[in-house]
Amino acid sequence: MFDYLLQAANIVIHWQNLLALLSGTIIGIIIGVLPGLGPSAGMALTLPLILKWNPTTALIFMGALYKCSNYGGSITAILVNTPGDASNAATILDGYPMCEKGKGGVALGLSATAAMVGGTIGMICLVFSAPILAEFALKFGPAEYFLTAILALTIISAVVQGALLKGLISAGLGLMLSTVGFDVITGHLRFTFGLTAIEDGIPLIQALVGLFAVTQALCLAESAQSISRIGKLAGGFWEGAITYFKYPYRIIHSAIIGLIVGVLPAVGQSSAGLLAWAEAKRESKHPESFGKGDPEGLIASETSTNACMPGDLVCTIALGIPGSVGAAIFLGIMIIFGVVPGPLVFQEKAQVIYSLFFALILTSFILFLIGMTIARHFALVTLLPNEIIVPIILVVSLLGSFAIRNLMEDVLISLIFGVIGYIMLRGGFTPVPLLLGLVLGEMVEYNYHRAMMISGGSYSIFLSSSISKILIILIILSLFGPHLGIFWKKLRKMKGGKSYV
Amino acid sequence: MKQILKRTDVIFKITLFCLFIFLYFVATSYPEKSKKFPQLVCISTTIIIAVSLIFDFSRKGKIEKEILDVGDTELTKIDEDFKKIRRHRFIKAWAIILISTAIGFLGGFLITTFLLLIGFLFLFGEKGNFLKNITISLLITLIIFFTFQLIFGISLIKGF
Repeated sequence: MFDYLLQAANIVIHWQNLLALLSGTIIGIIIGVLPGLGPSAGMALTLPLILKWNPTTALIFMGALYKCSNYGGSITAILVNTPGDASNAATILDGYPMCEKGKGGVALGLSATAAMVGGTIGMICLVFSAPILAEFALKFGPAEYFLTAILALTIISAVVQGALLKGLISAGLGLMLSTVGFDVITGHLRFTFGLTAIEDGIPLIQALVGLFAVTQALCLAESAQSISRIGKLAGGFWEGAITYFKYPYRIIHSAIIGLIVGVLPAVGQSSAGLLAWAEAKRESKHPESFGKGDPEGLIASETSTNACMPGDLVCTIALGIPGSVGAAIFLGIMIIFGVVPGPLVFQEKAQVIYSLFFALILTSFILFLIGMTIARHFALVTLLPNEIIVPIILVVSLLGSFAIRNLMEDVLISLIFGVIGYIMLRGGFTPVPLLLGLVLGEMVEYNYHRAMMISGGSYSIFLSSSISKILIILIILSLFGPHLGIFWKKLRKMKGGKSYV
Repeated sequence: MKQILKRTDVIFKITLFCLFIFLYFVATSYPEKSKKFPQLVCISTTIIIAVSLIFDFSRKGKIEKEILDVGDTELTKIDEDFKKIRRHRFIKAWAIILISTAIGFLGGFLITTFLLLIGFLFLFGEKGNFLKNITISLLITLIIFFTFQLIFGISLIKGF
């Protein structure tokens, strides 16, 4: 393996490959910054440009673009509360509140450092443990996937705002919305009420734009303030970078969560970031500060999301099972260039694969350097006057929404979701579980039906394996754990009181 | 202080409660496999909403007492004034968004964006500075146009 890595290093430092890596990084960041244009759209848009390139250079370019568009999405999530993609949903939870405190530069510094460290940890683990992780993923059947998704939903519902019932209602709404359109099993059309624009389901990016960008623009319009409520920038990129390393336990913990979630097909980066954030909040001594601009929350979500991407690539490369839409497109591009994924790819195309791995590690560092250069300029966005930033957020996000399918109906969908998001916020709900329900809904339903088919309609399949049993215990703990803790404290207090009497 | 009651919260929950019951019955006409999952989601979410509403209404008496304690103090007046300003700004923002989007159907991207920007600058910014507002709107419209259309080749709203 070390021979392969040395060869890969030689290949990657060739000027053509370095240029491909650099251009992939820059284009990735720009595409990520534009709402609605996530890694999938970015790879699809640039594919025609690289068709004549040699496979190694082309995959290095695409790998860098795929990785960096995620960082670009974090920039908008932090600065204007608009995640570039569903994978950046967790970033807004603490990233945007940091901006409101004038710490946009610090948040960008944290994010860039997380992209570098999380990505590097993820890639190094991937290089050494790809076969083992792939084997672990194979132990997951439909019942386990169903329960993993339910666990992600219950954890987020319970932790994200501290109101379990509201979180569950929001997640239920998301799951329900995911059933709109053609049924994945029977092909039957459901809940479209004659609207052709939603026959393929509620479009995710358009819903995301509405729930976060439009809602945010409306809240800003009401408040008459700039994003930075103190009207100036406090702290900079380096403060963020230094702060990041003050939380070594959180970094490692979140990277592990990201890697594990990444290995599971279809669970994806959005779940990884949210789960790591929820876990950080649960373990924190001051959970009330989470969601209000706590750097630890941002570190958890960003590290996990960035470590998830290499994990995501494990299944894509080793098994040919993509973990997300972006990974699915990457899989297609690999096949176009003659690199057929599967267990043998590590021997047959070792040079290409290890060059890709090495290039992705290098990308993490280049990303940090670029982040360092641009952070200060990007952070100035938070100081723009309300009457300028609100229409800019609206135009750019709604344009992103329109650009995906060139449908004016998509703009309307975003506006409708904007209203839903606004009402939810005013009613004390958070749209994050709704988004996760919408993202995971299809996977939940598909695996539910598969599990039921395998078991012949018996629910006992959800208790058949040890992994399932552990997952069920975790679901119960995520739902009732906090209440059990309070109950236990009360009981101890009562006992303590009695002893005094 | 009245926001303790969170009227929006209760109305939203009741709306969702009705919506989920409605969707449950809509799903009954679907094939067995297609209706099972949505109905399961409907039932479980309806139960959660019902439990949540029971909690809300059981707390209502306590909240009303808190509001009575506050009474007609300065605090409630400030709260009402603040809400009034917020509501006005919200209505104005929606008016601009809806008018610009409707014009987008007819006039395309450039007119929509320009109208949206000028609308916000005039209604929320300095009303008197006509030339400055026009220049900023035009400049931002052109920057967005060049970035999306010319650099990235992304198709923009064309209009009729």
